Amino acid sequence: MFPLLREKTRNNRITVIVMRASWMLLLLACCGNGNTKTVGQSAHPVESDALLPADARSVVLKGKSHTDKVDVASPMNLTLGCTWTGNGKKLLNVTGYWLKDGRPVDNSHVTLQFENQQVQLKRMFVIKNEENLGRYSCMFGNEAKADFILAVPHIGDVRDKPVVSYVGDSVVLVCKMDDNKPNPKTWLWFRANGTDKEEIATVAEPQKYQVQNAGKVTKLHVHNLTQDDSGLFYCGAMFTIGMAVSHLELKVITIYEPLKPFVAIILEVLVLVAAILLFERSQSKKGQVQEGEEVAKAEPPATNAEPPAINVEPPTSTSSATPPGESQGLEETLSARQRKS
Amino acid sequence: MPADALGYVPPDGGWGWAVVLASFISIGFAYAFPKSLTIYYKEIQEYFSISYSQIAWLSSVMLASMYAAGPVSSVLVNRYGSRAVVMAGGFLVSSAMVLASFGTTIVHLYLCVGVIGGFGLAFNLQPALTIIGTYFHAKRPLANGLAMAGSPVLLFTLAPLNQLLYDSFGWRGSFLILGGLTLNCCVAGSLMRPVNKKVQGQLQREPHERAGAGPQHAEAQRTGGVHRFIDVSLFKHRGFLIYLLGNVVMFFGFFAPVVFLAPYAKHLAVDEYSAAFLLSIFALVDMFVRPATGLMGNTQRIRPRIQYLFSFAVCYNGACHLLCPLASGYAGLVVYAVFSGMAFGMVCSLLFEVLMDLVGAPRFSSAVGLVTVIECVPVLLGPPLSGWRPNGSAGGYFWRVQVHVLRVWRLDAGAGRVFLHHALLQLQEAGRGGEAAAVGGDERVWRGCADEKESERTAAMNILSRVCAVYLIFTKKTKPHFLPQARVLVCVAF
Repeated sequence: MFPLLREKTRNNRITVIVMRASWMLLLLACCGNGNTKTVGQSAHPVESDALLPADARSVVLKGKSHTDKVDVASPMNLTLGCTWTGNGKKLLNVTGYWLKDGRPVDNSHVTLQFENQQVQLKRMFVIKNEENLGRYSCMFGNEAKADFILAVPHIGDVRDKPVVSYVGDSVVLVCKMDDNKPNPKTWLWFRANGTDKEEIATVAEPQKYQVQNAGKVTKLHVHNLTQDDSGLFYCGAMFTIGMAVSHLELKVITIYEPLKPFVAIILEVLVLVAAILLFERSQSKKGQVQEGEEVAKAEPPATNAEPPAINVEPPTSTSSATPPGESQGLEETLSARQRKS
Repeated sequence: MPADALGYVPPDGGWGWAVVLASFISIGFAYAFPKSLTIYYKEIQEYFSISYSQIAWLSSVMLASMYAAGPVSSVLVNRYGSRAVVMAGGFLVSSAMVLASFGTTIVHLYLCVGVIGGFGLAFNLQPALTIIGTYFHAKRPLANGLAMAGSPVLLFTLAPLNQLLYDSFGWRGSFLILGGLTLNCCVAGSLMRPVNKKVQGQLQREPHERAGAGPQHAEAQRTGGVHRFIDVSLFKHRGFLIYLLGNVVMFFGFFAPVVFLAPYAKHLAVDEYSAAFLLSIFALVDMFVRPATGLMGNTQRIRPRIQYLFSFAVCYNGACHLLCPLASGYAGLVVYAVFSGMAFGMVCSLLFEVLMDLVGAPRFSSAVGLVTVIECVPVLLGPPLSGWRPNGSAGGYFWRVQVHVLRVWRLDAGAGRVFLHHALLQLQEAGRGGEAAAVGGDERVWRGCADEKESERTAAMNILSRVCAVYLIFTKKTKPHFLPQARVLVCVAF
C-alpha cells in the first residue's frame, strides 16, 4: 500500500490531498515532521496540510524570463503555474522542471507536449515556514524561465533619509505597511547593537520608549533623547510565517547645529540693512547740500518777483521731465520751501 | 487715475526699481511662505500626535490672520509709512518662527506661526503694494506685474529649500532658520525709502474732482475719528464696491486649480511625482506671465483699458477651468496646467493694479486693507466648501472639480461682467471729467475712448459670453461630463 500511495503522490494529482488526509496519522508515525531536503513535496507529513488555505499564481511567459513577487503572510498551499508559448522554433516537446533558490526540486522533471503552441507547468508547493520562502523558478529546458519570489510582505514607504531630532527632545518613529498588504500579527522594534539587533524592551523602560500599534501602522516614541540614541532602529512586522524588517535612521543633534546658519543669516541681514541705510543717509546729505546751495541762489529773485521759471528747480529726486502742466505744482513746492527756510 | 491727483510727480524709475525689488521680496514672502510650510506638516503631525485636520488648521489660521490684519496694516501704513511697517512685519514673522521652534503644543504653534506670523506677513503685503503706487504712475502696471511675480518665484525657491532644511535639521531647526530667513523682509523694508514728495504732511491741492478721490480725502483728514485711520468713505466709491463684489465672488473658486490639480491628477491614475510636476509647471508659467502681463498692461493701447484686460483675464480663468474635464490623460492635464497658469498669473498681476487704478494711490492703502479683510471669507471658505460633496463614489473628485469649475466659471463670468460694466461707467465719467489741469500723454488716450460705441461693444460682449457658456454646457462633447444639477446651476448664473 505504501509504495502505491507514494507513486500516486509523485504524480501530484489533486486527489492525493484527499487521500493524504486519511493517512496523516500513519505517515506521522513513520516519517516524522519535515524532510528539509525534499522541498515542496506534496507528501508532507504535517497534520494541518489539508486545512491550509490554497492559492494559485500563474504567469504567461512571453519572452525569455519573467519575475513575479508573491506576498505570503501565513502558511498556505500555493500552486504556481507557468505557461510558455514557445520560442518560435517548432518544438514537439520540452522538459519542464522547478528550481528553488537555484537548486532543483526533487521529482519535478516532466516532459511536456506542445498543445496549441503552448506548454504548461504547474506544481503545488506547501509554504509553511520561512524556509519554504524563496525564489521558485519554473524552467522550460534551457530556453525560458519564470521566477516567483515568495516573501513576507515588505514594509513599504520607508524614509531613506535620517530622522533628525534634538537632545532632550522626543521623537516618533513610524513604520507603515502598504494598504494592499495584510495586517501583521504584531510589530516589534529593535535597536542596532553592533552587528546584532536587540529588541527594545518597552515594558522595562516606559519613560523612554512607548510603542503604539494600530494594524498597519506602528509608532515608537522615544523620549529624553541623547546623542547615544543616534543610529539604526529596526521595525519588524510579525506574520505567522515570518517577520519583515525595515530600518530607520535616527540622528540626534544639539541646538547649536541650526544655530550656526541662523546667526549667519542674522548677521547678513544686519549688514545689508546697515549698508542700505547708510547709503541712503549719504545720498540725502548730498541732496541737502545741493538743495541748500540752490535755495540760496533762488532766494533773492524769489522774494521780490514772481516765482522763476521751472529750470531753477534742482532735481533732487530722479524724476522724469516734468510736463508743462505741472508748473503749478512746482510753484507750490518752491513756495513751500520758501516757507520752510 | 491721473498723476496730478497725487499732488506730486512719481519718479517712475530710478530708486523705484529698488522699491520694486523690495516689494518683490515682501509680496513673495507674504504669499509663498504659508504654502511652503506644508512640507513640515507630516512630521509635526506625528510629533504632537494630532490629526491631519488639526495641522491643516495651521494654514487656515495663518491665512485668516494675514487677511484680517489687512486693515490694521493699512492704518499703520497711513500713519507711519511703508518702511516702518514692513520692518516691523519682518521682525514679527521672524520672532514668531523662532518662538515656534521651541513650541511644546500645537496651540503654541497656532499662536506663533498662525496669528503672529500671519500679522507679520500682512504687515509685509499691504505696504509693499502701496509703495509701488507712490513711486510709479506711467509704468505702474509693469512695476505691479514684476512685484507680484515675487510670489511664484519665492514659492519655487522656498519649496526645495524647505525640503533641504527639513532633511538636515528636522522641523524645529528649520523653523529657527526660517525665522532668520524671514528677517530678510527687514532688508526689503529698508529699501522702501519714502518717496520724495516735496510736500510732506500738507493738504494736497486737488486740481479737479476726479472720481471723488480728492475732496473726500481732504474731508477725511479733517473730520478725524475712524477716518483718521482708514478711509471708510471708500464704501461710497462705486468702482471700489464693484471691484469688491467681483473679487469676493471670484475668490470662492479662484484657488481651485492650486488645491485640486494634484488630487485630480492622481484620480486620473497619474503617479505622485508627475502630479506634483503639474503644479511646478503651473507655478513656472505663472512666474513668467505676471511681468509679461504687466508689460502688456503698460502699452499705450491697453493702459487706458486695463479694466477690460482684467475682466478678460478673469473670464479666461473661468473658461480654462470649464474646459478642464475635456483634458484627457497626462498630456491634457499639462496643457490645462499651462493655460490655467497663464490665467492665474494674468489675474494676480492685474489684481492690485486695477484697484490702484480705481481708487488712486492716496487711498490705495486703505482700499487694499478693506479688500483683503473682506476677501478672506471666500478664500478660506472656498476649498472646504467645494470639498463638501459626496466623495464616496469613484467620480468623487471629478464631481468636485466639476462643481468647482462651474462655480468658478459662473463667478468669473459674473465678475467679468461686473468689471465690464464698471469700465463703461468709468469711461463715462472720463467724458464728464472735462477740464483737467494736467494733460499727460495717457490722459489724452483715455479720454479718446469714451464714446458710445464702447457701450454697445460691452453689451455685445456680455451676450457673446452667455451664448458661449450655453453652447459649451449643452454640446454633446461636454454633456456627459456635466451632471444635471450642474447645468441648472449654470443656467441660474445667467
